[in-house]
Amino acid sequence: MKRNIQCLFKSYNYNQNITTTLSKRFLSSQDAIDRRHHLFMLEKKRQIENVGRIEKIEINYKGIPKDCTLIMNKDISTPYDCAKHLSEWHADTSALALLDGTVYWDMHKPLTESCSLELQNFNVPEPQQVNKAFWRSCSLVLGACVTAAFKDNVPVKLHSFPGPDIRSGSFIYDVDLPSLPDWKPTQQELHTLSAEYVMLSRKGLPIERLDVSEQLAMEMFVDNEHKSSQIPSIARANGKVTLYKVDKHVDISKGPLIGNTAQIGKLAICSIHKITGSSESDVKQLYRFQGVALPTGVVLNHFAFSIIMERAKKLNSARSPINPFVDTRELQQSIAASA
Amino acid sequence: MNQADVTKLVSKLRIKVPPKHRRLSCPEGPEGRLNKLRKTVTGLIKYERIELNYYRGDEARQYAERLISEAINHGDCHKPTMEMADFWLLEKELVHKLFKVLVPRFENSNSAYTRMLKAPKPAYGRYIDKAVLELRGNPYPSLQNKQTNNRQLLQNILLDAAKYDYRQVKYAEMAEKIEKSEEPSSVKTTNIEHN
Repeated sequence: MKRNIQCLFKSYNYNQNITTTLSKRFLSSQDAIDRRHHLFMLEKKRQIENVGRIEKIEINYKGIPKDCTLIMNKDISTPYDCAKHLSEWHADTSALALLDGTVYWDMHKPLTESCSLELQNFNVPEPQQVNKAFWRSCSLVLGACVTAAFKDNVPVKLHSFPGPDIRSGSFIYDVDLPSLPDWKPTQQELHTLSAEYVMLSRKGLPIERLDVSEQLAMEMFVDNEHKSSQIPSIARANGKVTLYKVDKHVDISKGPLIGNTAQIGKLAICSIHKITGSSESDVKQLYRFQGVALPTGVVLNHFAFSIIMERAKKLNSARSPINPFVDTRELQQSIAASA
Repeated sequence: MNQADVTKLVSKLRIKVPPKHRRLSCPEGPEGRLNKLRKTVTGLIKYERIELNYYRGDEARQYAERLISEAINHGDCHKPTMEMADFWLLEKELVHKLFKVLVPRFENSNSAYTRMLKAPKPAYGRYIDKAVLELRGNPYPSLQNKQTNNRQLLQNILLDAAKYDYRQVKYAEMAEKIEKSEEPSSVKTTNIEHN
């Protein structure tokens, strides 16, 4: 075991050494994704090894079929593990966990102390937080889908996505496509993107979470200048950056997110708008990918869904990350709408 | 001409009654069919929620509805009703339940007394429609998801926002129209003043 850990650290250190050389030369997007995924897995393994002696905690589960107490492993067991003890239905449909009735917790985040646990699906009486987590996850998976969808000769640099606003009608990812300065996507291309998204979500992949140090995060996103410029401000609060992994795609998000991509049901990528930066910003233009999705199991007839889709085609009024002053009027309207 | 109005003699059920009964293939013939249905009606009154084949459930439902409506209309001192209850309920303590529990429960209701829902079919095996037959007001948790009216559900938030947007567009159009219609009229009034 000890030898194994040493070996891992060796490879980790080795990786750290080669990054300095890697950062200087061009990384194809697939290489960058693989490298990030590799680093993520190494760090995850290291964190699990770091737990040391396994301690037990008591989780008081509240909900159907009946309240019960589970004895779980501290810093290892996740709410997802608790759900697996209950039933397959719990494991599949739970999107978020609610600890002690106040803290919303990811399904794949290890539990740190004894607490009470409620599992939240999309039909709970007060689903605001679950909806937000769903919308955030949709944005993150959209990023994964966009990086996978383009050919190798088109570099894709993800920029960011704003906080979830469901009333705005669409989830967003702002993406930098430097080799496509004037791209107008056809309907066929949007369909292809949607199909790519559906294939990704149908794989039923868990959305894993990991808190890493600022230094490691910088190394992971060394090929993406937008992300690496955002990391210092994200890490300012506590020196940690929260990463999420879907398949091989690793991205930064504040969280919490839903447990599994299979919980994303009916969806469509509706439009791609060009947003231009202000004169003083470094980035001159970004593409705003917009889509709309519903959780699995929500039955909505195609007419109602077409209304939602038509609305998602309009440019989302969320604040532009590169030109924060342009959309203020529309933003105020959306605030008035949500009030 | 002094014929009684048939609709007043037979209690009107609040469910759809097909013109012909189902024969429910049975080796003992019509009598076997009735025995089957008696068992089902007894089970329904006893357990309040049962799962069974759709056709048998639909057939038994009509007899159960009729039995409850007769019991409500005539009460427990009416001999034919009592005989009917005695025939349909194989366990005799259920006769007490019918008159003392179900009649007060359904006296003032203005919907059907039973509810029938389609049950999921098994993935493999014979293709037979299944149904869940239950008495309304039973103590079990609801089978239907009643929260579709919850405005906080994701689909409802999206639809509400779309509705709001649509209305805003319509209001803007109306305001434009009013402005246009006001302009010519104001011109006219000024003309009149000149005259």
